[in-house]
Amino acid sequence: MKRLKRLWRRTVNFAVGRTGDRRLREEMDEHVALQTEENIRAGMAADEARRQALLKIGPVEALRESYHAEEGLPKIETVLQDSSYALRMLGKSPVFTAIAVITLALGIGANTTIFSFLDAVMLRSLPAKDPQRLVKLGAEDWNGITDSYACTELYSYPFYRQFQRTNQVFSDTAAIFSLTNDAHGFIDNRSESEPIKVQMVSGTYFQTLGVPAALGRVINENDDSTEGNHAVVVISNAFWKRRLGRDPSLLNHKIKLGKTVFGIVGVAPSEFFGTTVGVAPDAWAPLSMTESIPPGWTGRKENFSESLYILGRLKPGITMQEATANVNVVFPQILHSFPDAKLTPDNLASLARAHVQLESMARGLSYLRLSYSEPLKVLMVIVALVLLIACANLANLLLARSTARARELALRNALGAGRMRIIRQLLTESLVLALAGGFLGIAFASLASRILLRMISSGQHAVPLDVSLNVRLLAFTFAVTVCTALLFGTLPSLRATRLQPADSLHGGRGSSVLGARTPIAKTLVISQVAISLVLMMAACLFLRTLVNLHRADTGFSRENVLRLDIDSTVTGYKDNDPRLKELFRQIEERVRALPGVQAASFSAFTFNEGSWNTSIVVPDMPLDLRANIKHNIVGNDYFNVMKIPLIAGRSFGPEDTSASQHVAIISEHMARMLFPAGSPIGRTYKIGDPNDFETVREEQVIGVVKDVKFGGVTEQTQYLDYLPYSQRDWGFGDFEVRYTSSFGETSRDVQQAIHQIDRTLPIENVTTLDQQVAASYGDQMVIARLSAFFGFIAVFLSSIGLYGIMSYLVSRRTSEIGVRMALGADRSVVGWQVIREVSIWILVGIAVGLPITLEGGRLVGKMLYGLSGSDPSSLAAAAFVLLAAGLIAGYLPARRAARVDPVVALRCE
Amino acid sequence: MRQKTDVKQGTLALMILKTLEVLGPLHGYGIARRIEQISGDLLSVNQGTLYPVLLRLEQEGAIESDWGASENNRRARYYRLTRQGRRELQSEVEGWHQTTEIMARFLSAKTEDLS
Repeated sequence: MKRLKRLWRRTVNFAVGRTGDRRLREEMDEHVALQTEENIRAGMAADEARRQALLKIGPVEALRESYHAEEGLPKIETVLQDSSYALRMLGKSPVFTAIAVITLALGIGANTTIFSFLDAVMLRSLPAKDPQRLVKLGAEDWNGITDSYACTELYSYPFYRQFQRTNQVFSDTAAIFSLTNDAHGFIDNRSESEPIKVQMVSGTYFQTLGVPAALGRVINENDDSTEGNHAVVVISNAFWKRRLGRDPSLLNHKIKLGKTVFGIVGVAPSEFFGTTVGVAPDAWAPLSMTESIPPGWTGRKENFSESLYILGRLKPGITMQEATANVNVVFPQILHSFPDAKLTPDNLASLARAHVQLESMARGLSYLRLSYSEPLKVLMVIVALVLLIACANLANLLLARSTARARELALRNALGAGRMRIIRQLLTESLVLALAGGFLGIAFASLASRILLRMISSGQHAVPLDVSLNVRLLAFTFAVTVCTALLFGTLPSLRATRLQPADSLHGGRGSSVLGARTPIAKTLVISQVAISLVLMMAACLFLRTLVNLHRADTGFSRENVLRLDIDSTVTGYKDNDPRLKELFRQIEERVRALPGVQAASFSAFTFNEGSWNTSIVVPDMPLDLRANIKHNIVGNDYFNVMKIPLIAGRSFGPEDTSASQHVAIISEHMARMLFPAGSPIGRTYKIGDPNDFETVREEQVIGVVKDVKFGGVTEQTQYLDYLPYSQRDWGFGDFEVRYTSSFGETSRDVQQAIHQIDRTLPIENVTTLDQQVAASYGDQMVIARLSAFFGFIAVFLSSIGLYGIMSYLVSRRTSEIGVRMALGADRSVVGWQVIREVSIWILVGIAVGLPITLEGGRLVGKMLYGLSGSDPSSLAAAAFVLLAAGLIAGYLPARRAARVDPVVALRCE
Repeated sequence: MRQKTDVKQGTLALMILKTLEVLGPLHGYGIARRIEQISGDLLSVNQGTLYPVLLRLEQEGAIESDWGASENNRRARYYRLTRQGRRELQSEVEGWHQTTEIMARFLSAKTEDLS
């Protein structure tokens, strides 16, 4: 209490800068006066009396200092003094300061940027109440609709309802449709449709997450009670702001999706982005409305139409193990209770095998996490290494400075500053530099994260990922900044204070200075080269991987194809409506007639867009349920657009109508592996497995085409077949156009042509096929570009380091060189010696870095395509770049050495 | 010549408090003078060192100070014991008595007492 009171007073004094200096002086004057009078009374002469009084009160300056120390907070004052001194010293060498701050800002900024993504994608918790208690059934994040028996990843609606009732471990249970509906709708009576991303959820969704509405109410259990008549949505805060201008009277607004008009009942809190990181729905609708929201998924009542994620909140005290045990008891019970279960031996076997794994939902779901976890980790290491190189550079710069400042430090030392005091002063300077770099780095990071966000977004819209500044990020940056300061500041300050003041004051060029500095500087430069090799190698590996991916044969021709998405659900036609097919046909015809267009076709898929896959039954062949055939529904011109060569038979034509024999074109691989020997043309097969044919229709093979890649560039050869949309119903999808003119022109003409036919059709994602293929390895593109960028920065920084130390050494040796030249040494020989020295350092650095590089290459091996982590040509390229950059850095000092004038050099001494 | 003893800071504070208790409000010089008198010049204090201690005691709330007029009618800073200071002084004095008593007893102990 006493101490607290005192601390408070001192802090206040310190803060308001109050000093009792005047009061003390006055008190002491009075003291001396009184004492003098006393002395005079005792019989002393006036002069003597005053002298004695002064003697008695003691040394005034020391007294003032100790008085002052009692008064304020001397330690903090010292720090401030040090800081202002540091600022003055740094201000005296603006070039050094600028270089240091910019280097640090780049390094710290890069670290902050990558960490902000790492945090948003991998670390941050869901914006829900107590997210640690949320779990999800199933460990792999599948999405789609399946009818397989005993699926442990996706669940049917009836299953969810039964599970909600019978499980004993969750206090709340919710279901989420595993696909997000990228619908287009009309707000109020606006005539233009808008893209609206709808997430369908169970009535318990918000309650389970513990997320209340920011305005209005959330979706509740009643909204999900009966099918089809609860047309309500909760909209996201961003959508409310963007589309409704934050109008608080929600009841005045409606959203029309497909044919149904939805009322807006609430707005979600602004920080709530749903349950999938990187996917922010515009609206949440109850699962009861599944069929009304385009594309109108069906199967809500079916026991084996599995499309939902199930998540639950653990009851208090229930552990993950207990929950897993209970879920796996309930799971088979529910499946057995379904009367329509097809208890084939296969299905029973898969039920026996089935084990539901529980996964924490604390961090939510994320597809980004799947593809970007590894790249982000690698990038984090890369930027940390870049910062390390920057630190080494700064340490070297500071070493050089401390040599230059040796006299100043020696003087301070001689004047009584202890070694600790000087070290503290020097470290304060480092810290001031680092903090300046940190501040600039944060500014730099906010810019860089926008660029990076753009880079990881495949479509036109940036991925909705919150990478803005937050407390955690700031704490990270601050920690990095302080560590950085310690890293580059400690060594030089220890070294600087080991000087003997006498030596330095004497000549300022004592031999001990030179001898002491260079080994550390050399070590620093060599480690820079070693780390640069690691980074350069990474850059080469990832760049070559990218080139390999670019060059990979997809089987179709990527160039000169425009692709776009249209959403035909806004027409309100059902998939099997002949008017819809007529619309497709008209668009194809109109576009094909455009100048500069060679071919145009709709398709269900083009590349990397998911799949519809089943097994098939081919007469005279054994049934293979594991053979997954991916089906594509296409227009007649599809193979011309994609330039997929027809190997045998014919392509689709106008003769294939809904009334004629159902036909299919199959891929080469499928023909070879799944059909009897000989030509498959004319043979028939059925889609689906024999237990659940949706129809009895048979497809007759009319052609065989070459294999193409379907899901990704690096995938194995797939079984693919193609069906004409005249015979198979499909609602909406891709439209591809092969053009000979420019992309811009074609894009404009095509969109005009489509809107001439139907003005309301929303057109989205207009891009080239080439870009779509490239987007499928977007993670590789990001890591290749960034690792190349940072690799070059690393090499650049190391070159500066090499240049710095070489120049220093040359200037130190000027006299030695002068002597040698005076004795007849050739200029070029002197120059070569410098170059040779640089080369040796680089080679030593490479030798040191080699094992680390190879180990690093092994670690990233899985992320590479078409080459191994120890790829010799990448290694050679990396070493070559380093050597070349190093030699350029060494050339300037070498030239200076060669130009030394012996007379001038010798006079210097 | 008898050796003069240095004072520790803590004891100096105690002396100041005691002086103020006995004599009431007093300026710095008066306090110094009084301490000198009582210690019979045994104590050599750089009298100035009094002032930082006074400042600390004031910050801790044991004493208060205000300007007043000195004997020769000039401005002087007068220090006064607060109620809290009085309490502190009391407990310190008790503690000090206890310590001295124990020490005295210990030092006067005979060989037979210790065995």
